[in-house]
Amino acid sequence: MPDGPSLSTPTRLPQRLFSTLEGVFHEEVFFLILSVFIGIFSGLAVVCFRLAIDWMHLALLGPLPQTHGWRLFAVPSVAGLVVAILVLHVFPGIRGSGVNQTKAALYIFNGFIPFRTAVGKFICAAIAIGSGQSLGPEDPSLQIGASIASALGRQLQISREKLRLMAPVGAAAGLAAAFNAPISAVLFVIEEVIGRWSAGILGSVVLSAVSSVVIVRWFLGSEPLFRIPVTTFKRPSELLAYAVLGIVGGLASVLFAKSIGFLRPRLKALPRWTQYFQPALAGVLVGLIAFLGAPQIMGAGYDAMDQAMHSQFPWKFLAILAVLKIVASTVSFVSGTPGGMFAPTLFIGAMLGGAVGDRMHYFFPHLTGSTGTYALVGMGVLFAGFIRVPMTSVFMVLEVSGNYEIVVPVIVANAFSYLISRSLTDIPIFDMLTRQDGLILPSLEEDREETILRVEDAMLGVPSAILGAQDYVDANARRVQDCGDSIFLVRLHPTGWNVVTREQLQRLLQEGKGEMTLGSLLPAQSLPSLYPDLPLDTALRYVNDYPLIPVVNRADSRHLEGVISRESVFKKYGSRGAIAVPGED
Amino acid sequence: MSWTLPKLVPRSAPVILLILTLAAATGFAAVGHLVARFTANQQARGRKLHELGLEDAKAGRYDEAIAAFRAALTCDPTNSQYQLSLARALRDSNDPRRLDEAESYLIALWQRTPQDATVNLALARVAAHRGSVEDATRYYHNAMYGVWSSDPDANRNKARIELIEFLLKKNAAANAESELMALAASLPSDATSRLEAGQLFAAARDYPSALAQDEEVLRLDPNNAAALAGAGQAAYRAGNYATAERYLRAAVAAYSQSAELRQLLESTQTVLRASPFRTYLSDAERNRRIIAAFAQAEDRLTKCAEQTGVDPNTASASPLSRLQARWIAAKPDLEHLRSPGETDLPDALMDIVFQIEQQTVALCGQPQGLDLALLLISRERAAAGQ
Repeated sequence: MPDGPSLSTPTRLPQRLFSTLEGVFHEEVFFLILSVFIGIFSGLAVVCFRLAIDWMHLALLGPLPQTHGWRLFAVPSVAGLVVAILVLHVFPGIRGSGVNQTKAALYIFNGFIPFRTAVGKFICAAIAIGSGQSLGPEDPSLQIGASIASALGRQLQISREKLRLMAPVGAAAGLAAAFNAPISAVLFVIEEVIGRWSAGILGSVVLSAVSSVVIVRWFLGSEPLFRIPVTTFKRPSELLAYAVLGIVGGLASVLFAKSIGFLRPRLKALPRWTQYFQPALAGVLVGLIAFLGAPQIMGAGYDAMDQAMHSQFPWKFLAILAVLKIVASTVSFVSGTPGGMFAPTLFIGAMLGGAVGDRMHYFFPHLTGSTGTYALVGMGVLFAGFIRVPMTSVFMVLEVSGNYEIVVPVIVANAFSYLISRSLTDIPIFDMLTRQDGLILPSLEEDREETILRVEDAMLGVPSAILGAQDYVDANARRVQDCGDSIFLVRLHPTGWNVVTREQLQRLLQEGKGEMTLGSLLPAQSLPSLYPDLPLDTALRYVNDYPLIPVVNRADSRHLEGVISRESVFKKYGSRGAIAVPGED
Repeated sequence: MSWTLPKLVPRSAPVILLILTLAAATGFAAVGHLVARFTANQQARGRKLHELGLEDAKAGRYDEAIAAFRAALTCDPTNSQYQLSLARALRDSNDPRRLDEAESYLIALWQRTPQDATVNLALARVAAHRGSVEDATRYYHNAMYGVWSSDPDANRNKARIELIEFLLKKNAAANAESELMALAASLPSDATSRLEAGQLFAAARDYPSALAQDEEVLRLDPNNAAALAGAGQAAYRAGNYATAERYLRAAVAAYSQSAELRQLLESTQTVLRASPFRTYLSDAERNRRIIAAFAQAEDRLTKCAEQTGVDPNTASASPLSRLQARWIAAKPDLEHLRSPGETDLPDALMDIVFQIEQQTVALCGQPQGLDLALLLISRERAAAGQ
């Protein structure tokens, strides 16, 4: 694959101007500019996607407050059948959320996501969500953005390394546009899609997210997804109430994740013909729930979240809605209907938060936080527990609410939810989904948990004999006479280190070079030196080339902290489990 | 089946960026067109739903109105008018749980246009529903000094009148009176406005001002029956019985069916007939009135004792027995009323009468007839003394 856009000059434009422009657009700069375009295209696509969902919703169901009974029942079922046919025959590979597929594209398929995925996801998710299936538009938007970015990168034939990064850049743009929240989108892509902090891609991800949000706000306005209630946090003792919310939310997250984890592989394992009917049956169940008195669970449910945040439902109804949404979203998702989990997660969190807040006020009337505040915090709680992205969950609530007064309650509640979820489920939901699909992808959570070995862990003490490059060979030889080592560090002047063996010293003496300085006889090169806090992996680059490597202080490179050798490094790795030692057969 | 985008032929960076810019501009225009069409459709649908909601709200079917306004807002989520209508319906639905949502909509509107008098008035009414004097006063003032789309003077006065009525309901008479002063200064000189102001002054117990407003109405429209009744009542409450009789007599003639006005007129006339303090009385008439009042007080005392089951002759510690003792002690002084040197005696005797009337009110309830007249005279005297 070529390394990027070549700088050949078209003949129709003035030569000098073109040469100047081409000089400016080296690949790094080009990639950054391309990120802005990815944001623009993703933003445009997400605007169309939202219009398509709204149009579909109005065309099929009418405005929800005025939807009639038979429609609630029939529309999601028939739409489920249509979606199933499209997924099985026209757009294979667009089932489910799209987050894990985007991550797989980054780590397995060199950033390749077929453009057909974007088209299929757009059409099928719009039909599914618009018809009332209990799913959200955010994850599909993420995948649509990633797919557009990937297609663009391929068309421009950018380098493989950059192409791999196109998917997360597009994903951030798609998610930011769907959520109208660029910071949360950037954090989510780093926490969940890329799986590690990478300074190299951060700029592009931010640029694409911001430009897509600008596009969405240009066309659809800057109104938030829901109106935020007046939020207050005055008494630190109220944190206990938020901790209770965190615990309840954590348990609900586990229930939600376990339900999906249990049902999804079992439904996928059923005969292929059943997959035509699974989304339709999910639609029947969703329609039944709506028909029986809870139409709020249909679709993304932002209107109901809005009402929950303004104390429009009694606590029992809020709790019932939370449970019903778990049921509805689980069946919609495991049936293979394309659609996202973000909105259902927020919905469940808002309802649980509202219910818990209401009960807290009943038992402790002095609490200052309104029920709406609990609903808002509840959204973050479910996000932290279900999707297991703790940073995104905190920033999402802050960004959506625009209120930093509730940062402490959000952190406390999210921490409880996250801890409960982590202790009761092995892996986050998206990792579980990828593993069910037979893929094992890295995650930031695993990175966080992994104990990194550092140079200081394998470091030996300062050797008893350190030779001086400005000392005579015979003086250095006398210095090592009583020492049992066979390899010695030599301190160079003014800085630097070298190494000499006992045999080399003996040979120099035999050659009559005892009255020459050791430095003048050693090769004019300096050993690489390491710092104690560096990852031990860094040392692996050198241990085969040098018998001893000095470990020096970062504040004073002449101050020797210790040394490491090939044996000490491998011994340390060996103590953590069997590893393949390079160069050892 | 594999779908791919068409290959871009040039691979020069500036050309690529130029093509991307053109593609973005094209996409921008296309999406803009789509959004405009979609928005227009949605707005049309929203307008219909909003009209339905307004009809429901007008008919008092608030649940249906709320559903319609919500549906209208799903079609046009940023429409301020729909938000305002929904907020009003939520507020007026008499469900306290909906006030939060109503307030949330209104605050969002207020943040966008803090000078909008309509939004401030709606917020003031939410605060009034909550019973918050401070918030309601603030928002009513914002509404008064805000921007009205039509007829600002009349709307400002209406807002102030609404605030006054709210303050009176919350027993914040001092605040209400200061608002009334401002209202009186800004009202147009038409009978309707002045009449309303008079009623508000009367509700705030500022009877002289109420009388002044009603007299202003009568100056403009001498036969205005409501003003005659208002002026009569205000004069009566202010203790200006001569004036009250004049207006009440005319009001009773206008409202012949009004038992309340007739009763007021009778009370007024009784006061005028019974009061020994009227300036034009001869000594003989004054003394006759004092003697009659003194006798009426004893009668009242006796009936009250019977009503409460207290024997004033035996229960020496009771208030009635103390009053009876004072009355008996003062009775011989009636003989000295005609003596020329006894200038303080009428007051002293009437003081006993007033004490009996005032204390029996607490023990035996509101009196009628001459007792009521004596009670009113006592209050008038007390007010004049202060």
